[in-house]
Amino acid sequence: MVGAITFINLAWLVPVFPLLGFLIIGFSGKGLMHNMAGIIGSSTILLSFLYTATLFFVMKSSGQDSATITLFNWIAIGSMNIPFAFLIDHLSLTMMLVITGVGTLIHIYSIGYMHHDERVNTFFAQMNLFTFSMLLLVMGANYLVLFIGWEGVGLCSYLLIGFWFKNPAYNYAARKAFIINRIGDLGFILGIILLFFTFKTVTFSEVFAQAASFPTGTTVITLITILLLVGAVGKSAQIPLFTWLPDAMAGPTPVSALIHAATMVTAGIYMIARSSILYNLAPITLNIIIGIGLATALMAAIIGLKQNDIKKVLAYSTVSQLGYMFLALGLGAYSTAVFHVTTHAFFKALLFLGAGSVIHAMGGEQDIMKMGGLKSKMPITYWTFLAATLAISGIPPFSGFFSKDLILNKAFEHNIILYILALGGALITCFYMFRLLYLVFFGEQRLTNAHPHESPQAMTIPLIVLAVLSVFGGFLNVPSLFGGNSNFGSFLQSATTSLSMEEMSHSTETILILVSLALLGLVIYFAYSTFVTRSSVPKADSEPMSFFGKVVYNKFYIDEIYDALFEKPLGFLSDFFFNKVENAVLDPAVDGIGTLTARFGTLVRKLQQGNMSFYLFAMVAGILLFIIFILII
Amino acid sequence: MILLIILLIPFVASLLLLLVKHAETVKKLALVSSVLNLLLTFYLLFSGSSTGVATQSYVFAGSQFSLGYDGVSLVMILLTNLLFPFIILAGFNREQKQPQILYALILFAQSALIGVFLAQNAFLFYIFWELSLIPVYFILLLWGGENRRAITLKFFIYTLAGSLFLLFGIIFLYQLTPGLHTTDFAVINQLVIPESTQIWLFWILFIAFAIKMPVFPFHTWQPSTYTMASTQGVMILAGVMTKMGIYGALRFLFPIIPLGVLFWQNTVIILSLIVVIYASVIAFRQANLKKLIAFSSMAHISLMAAAMFVLNYYSIQGVLFQVISHGVTIVALFYLVHIIEEKTGTLELSQMGGIKLIAPRLAILMLIVVLGSIALPLTAGFVGEFLMITGLFQQSVWFAAIGGITMILGAVYMLYAYQRVMLGETRADYKPITDLGLLDYCILIPLILILLGLGVYPQPIFNLVETAVVAMQNFLLPIANVATSFAN
Repeated sequence: MVGAITFINLAWLVPVFPLLGFLIIGFSGKGLMHNMAGIIGSSTILLSFLYTATLFFVMKSSGQDSATITLFNWIAIGSMNIPFAFLIDHLSLTMMLVITGVGTLIHIYSIGYMHHDERVNTFFAQMNLFTFSMLLLVMGANYLVLFIGWEGVGLCSYLLIGFWFKNPAYNYAARKAFIINRIGDLGFILGIILLFFTFKTVTFSEVFAQAASFPTGTTVITLITILLLVGAVGKSAQIPLFTWLPDAMAGPTPVSALIHAATMVTAGIYMIARSSILYNLAPITLNIIIGIGLATALMAAIIGLKQNDIKKVLAYSTVSQLGYMFLALGLGAYSTAVFHVTTHAFFKALLFLGAGSVIHAMGGEQDIMKMGGLKSKMPITYWTFLAATLAISGIPPFSGFFSKDLILNKAFEHNIILYILALGGALITCFYMFRLLYLVFFGEQRLTNAHPHESPQAMTIPLIVLAVLSVFGGFLNVPSLFGGNSNFGSFLQSATTSLSMEEMSHSTETILILVSLALLGLVIYFAYSTFVTRSSVPKADSEPMSFFGKVVYNKFYIDEIYDALFEKPLGFLSDFFFNKVENAVLDPAVDGIGTLTARFGTLVRKLQQGNMSFYLFAMVAGILLFIIFILII
Repeated sequence: MILLIILLIPFVASLLLLLVKHAETVKKLALVSSVLNLLLTFYLLFSGSSTGVATQSYVFAGSQFSLGYDGVSLVMILLTNLLFPFIILAGFNREQKQPQILYALILFAQSALIGVFLAQNAFLFYIFWELSLIPVYFILLLWGGENRRAITLKFFIYTLAGSLFLLFGIIFLYQLTPGLHTTDFAVINQLVIPESTQIWLFWILFIAFAIKMPVFPFHTWQPSTYTMASTQGVMILAGVMTKMGIYGALRFLFPIIPLGVLFWQNTVIILSLIVVIYASVIAFRQANLKKLIAFSSMAHISLMAAAMFVLNYYSIQGVLFQVISHGVTIVALFYLVHIIEEKTGTLELSQMGGIKLIAPRLAILMLIVVLGSIALPLTAGFVGEFLMITGLFQQSVWFAAIGGITMILGAVYMLYAYQRVMLGETRADYKPITDLGLLDYCILIPLILILLGLGVYPQPIFNLVETAVVAMQNFLLPIANVATSFAN
């Protein structure tokens, strides 16, 4: 028992391992032997994973639901006491397992993928720092420690998106990611401050205990939840702050896998699930979340239809899937959202790593119109990619089916229109994913000068492991319809408080599943007949498109609109302030005072030319004035 | 006694330097003196009674010459004595004309600054205030860059004009004191001044401080002066002298004319917040790296001014913390600018790019300092800004939101500057560039360690100022009551 307690109290080691990896790789610089950085980088994350997994069983056997580990007082002044503390409970354990588990696989994969890059050491150092930040984020016992990780992942994404820093476009994408995240972060930090003034603490357990005494719909709680939501919208790439994520693919592909699957974008979902007690008190905010989530899910899916860059299709699919997670959060189904985070981490990591394998094989080519026929040349990549595609499309019994189906059911219980829209989005997802699959792996190879080959084992083994997880991950949470008892959901019950809903009857559930399966089948058939049977290749960018096609192809012109609304005016304002206000008004005004003084001096000097009679006159006049003054007073 | 020693060491050293012939010896001697002073400061901080007010009086030349300190003074002394060794180091291994005079002036400035922060008497404060201007004036004039005559003159007139108002204010306070007139803070602080008087007296006293910080619209001397100044000159100006304004405001305004402060509170906060945005927006399009940082410093100092006038516990704790944090960050930044200018021969952003490829270590250190300046958590900048925004929030959500926009705009212009300097392809027209040398590490690494150390464990600074901040709250307690009676 003592051993168990010590083990739990040492849980701070979990983020420390990757931090050490970062420091070791970072400080040894070029002194490291070849591949050493990758090995150190991967093994530190693996250590964290093993520790977390053991922790999971230790906590389970000791019957402890949660533990708080306080390291020291970070900021303690007046009535503000913010300890540097970690909270280990079922929610953070789940996230830690996903982060370190999927993270380890991505790191191992990177050893193969980044083999030829000369800055491979920097790469692994930053990947470790990324994992460290994310662990800090999910393990923090209060909002401010969470915020350290929150901004930390922002920094690491900035570094890794701009990893190939010779390219100005990549640097721009990196800055864009950081700045858009910062916009969200401002909302988040204001939310934390309001939370502090409301509860006099920012520690989760204390906040949630006090929140119980607030009635539903209290204005201050609504305000807090909205401010926190602003942060989540930025970090989890929702409308209107999603534009950074598709550009974030500028970084090396494993980075995309890490950002999209295991870390970063899931932070917003985690934070809201963590704050479930507050959100339950704010129905207005929950409705806003439903709106944002659904709109994002649909818009990103539609954009995904028209993208020809393999990573961009996947990027928009992430935005879209995050929209589904938001939808689940808005419906008060927090554990469902976290469940979709988990299955999504498996299949999205797999999709990105598979795409990386394809890009690797095609010599850096990312345009799916130039691919094709890779099925036979890269069998492992193909079969694993197929598993992930089936999972994301929600085909049973793949993992995505269980999590997505649960979200659709919740939507149905809430509102039938919500369900129809969400199902529509799922069908679009299925279509663009199969379009991607068929164009890349089926038909003839369209790029003649490439010699595709299967990737090395360091890359294929993580693919296989992730494929197994993508296929079977759904069994973590088998609903009662299939004789399961929703283990995953009940595991999270102690950490998140989902809004209770009526249990759907099994017959309704069966009908819904059959309907969606029939539609998915149709969509897959349609995609097959379009891209394989008729082997039609999407039009090249230069060819004319319909108006709607053009709008979708250009992502609804949102980047252009933001550019016109924010970037251009900021530049204009900057020039205006500097040239017209600072240099044309304020500065001359001060100089003017100086010039005026000098002129006055010249004027006065004219009175002093050595004319004795004038001095005498002035003196007498002065004395007279003085006497008159005295007399009057 | 130790206060007098801390005050006199730089002064005596500056006189000694004038006798030394060899340039390198001059610099070493200056460094030894400043390090000695830093060690004594640490001794003072750790010797126990560091948090309470302890006035030591020395009768000097017939007038009251009393030195003393509280937590606020100690933070300022710590800042000054912490930064001067680095400011002096920044001149090592570099060709400088007339080093004897330059370093004598630098040390003289240090002595005067310490005097400002230790003076327990308004008139003595004023004398040191003016004395500090003289060496800085000459450093700017003789070692400055392009167009230095006109710019230095403007700087000089500007600050001198402010000082005249201050002198007038002090004389006015002097004649208000009962019995044998005095300008001791202990007496002045007890004065009961009618509100109508406090309202106009506020500006008489505040203008000098506003110019020093600088606060809108008294800031127009700053960008050109910073850009023209030598690296050591700008380090003294931005690192320490801006804090004279903050110190002056805390020392003069809040205890002596609290009602005047309360009357003008929102005006000053709004003016300051305007500059936070204004300067940040201007910084975004600056073509000159040094000027960009000058405007960024203006934005940061204005946020401190705004937070200071919010007058609540968190904001003042935040401001005092940020005094150290900003001082360290800005000195590190200007040193980096100096290295970059040496290596590339330019300060124009359009002429730079790709330095990271040839000097990766320089790039990493610059990135850390940049992150500190945009207040990333676990750097000192975050702790300061978080507390200041918390303080602003307590006054008004909108103040906090507008002040918080620095988080976004700071990232916009600093990362833009970083990208222009460090990232992209290396420009072909550079002369061979080497990465950082030992001296550069000696300056940058300790500064960075301070930034990170205080970001992870800020408590020592909080403890240092705690008593003083509580005491300041007590000064403000009567006006808090007034504030509620106004509300009724």
